[in-house]
Amino acid sequence: MTSMQAVPTPDATDDEVPILQLAAVRAGYGRIDVLHGIDLELRAGEVFALLGPNGAGKSTTLAVCSGQITPSTGGMFLCGRDVTGVAPDALARAGVCLIPEGRGIFPNLNVLENLRMATFTGHSFSQVLDLAFAQFPRLGERRKQTAGTLSGGEQQMLSMARALATEPAVLLIDELSMGLAPIIVEELYEHVRRIAASGLSILIVEQFAHEILGLADRAGIMLHGRLLHTGPPASIADELADAYLGAEHETPAAHPSQ
Amino acid sequence: MSQRWSNLLVWAGTIAFIVLVSKAAWAGNPVNGTSLTNLVVLALPVAGIIAMSATGLVVVYTTTGVFNFAQGAIGMFLAYVDWELTVAHGLPQAVALPLVVLVIAPLLGIGLDRAIMRHLQGKQLVVQLMVTVGLLFAFVGLANMIWNQNNAHSMPQLFAGKGFHIGDVLLTWHRFITIMVAVALAIGLRILLVRTRIGIAMRAVVDNRDLAALEGARSSVLSSFAWALGCSVAALAGILIAPETADMSTTTLTFLILTAFAAAVVGRLRSLPLTYLGAIILALATQWMASFLRFSDRWTNVPDALPTIMLFIVLLLLPRAEVQFARIGQIRRVERVSSVRDTAIGLAAFVAFMAILTLFLSSSDPTNTNRLALGMCTALLALSLVPLTGWAGQVSLAPLAFAGIGAVAYTRLGGAHGSVWAVFLAALVTIPVGALFAFPAMRLQGLYLALATLAFAAMVEEVFYTQPFAVGPGERPVARLHLLGIDFSSPKSFLILVTVVFGLCGVGVVALRRSPFGRRLVALRDSEAASVTVGVNILETKLAVFALSAGIAGFAGAFYAMSFGTLNNAQGFQMIAGLPVVLALVIGGVGFVAGALFAGVFGFVTLFVQDNWHISLWIALFYLAPGLAVLGIIQNPSGAVVPIGEGFARLLPWRKDAKQEYEEMTAAAAEPEVGELGLERPFAESDVLLVDRELGISNDVPRPVAAARSS
Repeated sequence: MTSMQAVPTPDATDDEVPILQLAAVRAGYGRIDVLHGIDLELRAGEVFALLGPNGAGKSTTLAVCSGQITPSTGGMFLCGRDVTGVAPDALARAGVCLIPEGRGIFPNLNVLENLRMATFTGHSFSQVLDLAFAQFPRLGERRKQTAGTLSGGEQQMLSMARALATEPAVLLIDELSMGLAPIIVEELYEHVRRIAASGLSILIVEQFAHEILGLADRAGIMLHGRLLHTGPPASIADELADAYLGAEHETPAAHPSQ
Repeated sequence: MSQRWSNLLVWAGTIAFIVLVSKAAWAGNPVNGTSLTNLVVLALPVAGIIAMSATGLVVVYTTTGVFNFAQGAIGMFLAYVDWELTVAHGLPQAVALPLVVLVIAPLLGIGLDRAIMRHLQGKQLVVQLMVTVGLLFAFVGLANMIWNQNNAHSMPQLFAGKGFHIGDVLLTWHRFITIMVAVALAIGLRILLVRTRIGIAMRAVVDNRDLAALEGARSSVLSSFAWALGCSVAALAGILIAPETADMSTTTLTFLILTAFAAAVVGRLRSLPLTYLGAIILALATQWMASFLRFSDRWTNVPDALPTIMLFIVLLLLPRAEVQFARIGQIRRVERVSSVRDTAIGLAAFVAFMAILTLFLSSSDPTNTNRLALGMCTALLALSLVPLTGWAGQVSLAPLAFAGIGAVAYTRLGGAHGSVWAVFLAALVTIPVGALFAFPAMRLQGLYLALATLAFAAMVEEVFYTQPFAVGPGERPVARLHLLGIDFSSPKSFLILVTVVFGLCGVGVVALRRSPFGRRLVALRDSEAASVTVGVNILETKLAVFALSAGIAGFAGAFYAMSFGTLNNAQGFQMIAGLPVVLALVIGGVGFVAGALFAGVFGFVTLFVQDNWHISLWIALFYLAPGLAVLGIIQNPSGAVVPIGEGFARLLPWRKDAKQEYEEMTAAAAEPEVGELGLERPFAESDVLLVDRELGISNDVPRPVAAARSS
């Protein structure tokens, strides 16, 4: 397989079935492939950080994981079950939850109604509310407010609350920091840290590494639609600068000649 | 002109229009407490019906993005089903009404969604619209086929027309119930949309369709639910209005929906309270007109045109920012534009074919020759939409109205003795009228523009032809062209003439598409915002393409007039007659000259069928055929001429590209279709359970997340 097994993490055993697995996935938009063969494993209970510069294919990878894009070749497995080509709503009900880039909220619905949308995955409304307001008390204070009028950070909280309230098996987070002030980003990552500590499997995408390398169990660098390095965050940090600055790598084909 | 000023202008114009019309047509009835009370009592049941129909439109549109032209036709059809159950089979209304509204209508809605509507998402707006228009004709045809319109049908009012008096007016229990049902519907929908999960999900879809799917809301369930609801509401409105119409005419019942269009637009197709408000205003205006104004003479038809006049005004009053969301859907595959040379060769071949065909047509009985000539006029008319709708993406439902104006202009400006100049004058008259449409088109986009053109077509039909300077009462003779010393009055020579004109226009249009102007049109369709940033003058481009389209339509109108031989105001240029032309063009392929030709052939065939089988079944099929063709559109949204043309091109030795493309396409089609719930097999409940067990989230095993959080 890939470099993934070259750097085994201590808690991984060979017979453990990854909770989410992409195998040789090629995918993209229309005829243009963005991902050129991604192999990725998310193990139960770990936080995997997917890093890389703009246009590396990180969001596309998450779009594949959440069922929004069907791989043109390769497969996707949830606990070893083939879920390639399963529709996003079915995946959501099976426990894969995406917090999309930007604000993943319904702006014209109020906070309560937004949370009501989380009940499609099988939880009762009161359960959802308990979980959401326990995590984010500030949302409880604004339960009747139209979501579009919340501040940016609160909107992102609502998005997270709604995702967490479904008690997903896998949480996919796309660019949590996008368009938000650093202090709010820090607060949001505090929540992510808490969630991670509770044992949820998280695949998180970020463009800016320092925020998540601290809380990730493993990390991977994406470049030009390929997953280049995976390993413990410490080993990744060194490679990161090279990837962003465009130094040579083991996949020269990925670099168009200048 | 700034937004504020243009708004002000429209408001001022509207008020001036209302004052002038009221003054001119004042019937002299006193305006006092009693007459105003009567007005309100009469208007409220009407408002209830309008509100119900409009609500159905809005619910379906917001949830699925499809504007249902057939809403009225569905209501009509279900009202007939109710008639069949009660009047013909003696079932009490207390049983039949709930049966129709709560069982048959939702089943019909779910069936429509599954079979047709679900496949329309993300298709071009004109395709979406024409599918529902086809459905409209299909329902009218079906109803005419089952319930012979030569027999009178009438539905008794509920409680046999008994009621109570308010002021001088008897408010029947039937009308009272109508008002109450509308109020109950408003309350019920409010509860549905705010309190229930499916209602919240329907509103969520309006905000963000993709995100709703990520939350696990099944869009198929939502759209089926919306269609079921829409059909139920249509049935309610249809059954309640049916006793108020004479003989339950299928077309009257079907086109009552036009008023509902206006009410729905007042609500911007999303707000139900505003829709109700719109319904009340419209009903009051209608009743005001009926009670206090008298129209005669050249204005006789104004009351009939009222719904569309109001629709037009409401559309003009819409603020610009609000209409942005109703944009034309993404076009997945850009149509191939053949070269000018290929088009010229193809059309020359077609002219030659037609010339040879005339040798075989009967000289003594010109019926078929005349039908062919009319078909070619239709093709020419459809061609006027190719640049406008096919390339620039501006949906117009009024081609026949422009043709009508052109026909009148030709007749009045020298067509009576077949002057060549009159043909060009006809085009010259329609060009400025068409160009005028570019101004509302700057404000209105997509669906709203389409509705505005529809309203325009109806206004032309009801108000323009009756004017003495247009056609007026009586008939006007029309002569066929004299050109270069040749008299084209014989059917065969006229057929050749129209065919040649179509060929020349077709080549001209393709040459235009290949020019910078043509590329600008396509840029406009794909993204107005992007076009502006690269320096395309939107107003100029829209002016030009609307003018061009109107010019071709006016041109076609002149030939229609020649084809008819005389012009009277009941003749063939009605709003409803224009819709099949657009429909046929969409079936053929809205972006292609060959699509226009297809529309012409389609027109000829329907004429042929209609005239040759004078059996009611076949007359009904005349309506039904476009409806069935809807299924063809869904199979092939870019048009029937595409696969035909591709199949033909593959056979040509010098078109290697066509062959290669075909191989690529078949290879792509060979890949298995991704179903809603899985690639090779459905993602079944058992799979979910299995995954749950693997993840440790089934009920007996506590989840790690929950456990950690609660500790």
